[in-house]
Amino acid sequence: MMKKTSRFQLPQLSRSGVAYAVLAGGVMLMAGCAGTPPTEQIAVTKAAVAHASNAGTTQFAPVELQSAKDKLARAEQAMEKEDYALASQLADEALADARLAEAKSESAQAQKAAKDSQDASRVLREEINRKAQ
Amino acid sequence: MKAHTMKKNHLFALTLISVSVLAGCSTMPQSTTLDNARTDYNNAQANPQVVKLAPLQLKEAGEALERANAAQASREDAKVVDSLAYVAQQKIALTQETAQRKSAELAVSNATAERNKLQLQARTAEADQAHQQAAMAELTAEQKTAEANLARQQAADAQAGAAQDQASLAAMQAQMDELNAKKTPRGMVITLGDVLFDTNRAQLKSGGERNVQKLAEFLKRYPQRTVLIEGFTDSVGSDSSNQVLSEQRAQAVSMALTNMGVGRDRISTKGYGEAYAVAGNDTASGRQLNRRVEIMLSDERGVIAPR
Repeated sequence: MMKKTSRFQLPQLSRSGVAYAVLAGGVMLMAGCAGTPPTEQIAVTKAAVAHASNAGTTQFAPVELQSAKDKLARAEQAMEKEDYALASQLADEALADARLAEAKSESAQAQKAAKDSQDASRVLREEINRKAQ
Repeated sequence: MKAHTMKKNHLFALTLISVSVLAGCSTMPQSTTLDNARTDYNNAQANPQVVKLAPLQLKEAGEALERANAAQASREDAKVVDSLAYVAQQKIALTQETAQRKSAELAVSNATAERNKLQLQARTAEADQAHQQAAMAELTAEQKTAEANLARQQAADAQAGAAQDQASLAAMQAQMDELNAKKTPRGMVITLGDVLFDTNRAQLKSGGERNVQKLAEFLKRYPQRTVLIEGFTDSVGSDSSNQVLSEQRAQAVSMALTNMGVGRDRISTKGYGEAYAVAGNDTASGRQLNRRVEIMLSDERGVIAPR
């Protein structure tokens, strides 16, 4: 409702005013697409990917780990090309990949531990039953 | 006027640029990645394990999905929407992994607790078994002691019995000795000499009655024994008279025993006349020995071997 009202009010503004407004909007949008260099975000992602690069993820989440590494590399390339929006976007994805890789690896290892533990219980139970007979 | 037109054209150009920039950031309102992310999120929300075990991760995934939804609603670039949707998808996947990890960790601790419980039960059972075995051993020991006591008692009883048997045997032997009983292949024989009878008489003398009294007492004491009373004579006189005399003498002793309370059924008599002489009939002393009554004592079953 407000948008419509302002659009109807446009002709009432001076023409140069409208021109500046549109220009400013365009510049702002361009700036929004390009953004400021996401240096901190890249650093955080880098640390996360480094942390996720371990034997567990290599074994249990190789796809996610590789994806995180690739996207981080591409984010760094985008930084060099000053395509900060792309860099930020790729860094976001790489971070999500790295976190998922770690979660997957931890989950797989925990499930293995659970199976081992349950097997041990079963063996013990059988042993006790054998003794009891 | 011209300047105005110029300015107007300039304005139009700027507007076009702005529009084109705007358009660049907002095309393609549809995103399969976002659709998938929404489906994944709904599934995660419907999964009670995720809701219970990964609530924080689910919240973050929801926020990521919200950002993607907002980007699509504000018609941002499809790549941006896709990227945000991708991040949301990864975060939703993270909720599943987190829930599975926590569930597995619970399983580990449950299994560990179960093992501890089992081990405790096993140890308790072992202890119980040990107790039971100890109790059993105690019982066995008691039983063995009881058995040993019983055996000792039996041995003592047997000994006592043997002693008693021996004593009674000795007593019987003593009584038999008193009766002048002699052991023969047929059994114990008591010989009553002719001093008990007058020649050609079957009446017991008083001295003979005393001897018979002793026999009666013996028979009363050992009721399982029976007697066979055999009469004999010397060769003086006819065979037939001697036969009768031997029978009469045997019956005289039998009568005396009956009078002294010995049952008739335990007494049998037989006369042999001048047969079975124990000495020569040519001398007075030999004839005296032949005039006699022999009393055969049965064994404990009442059996007397035939002559």
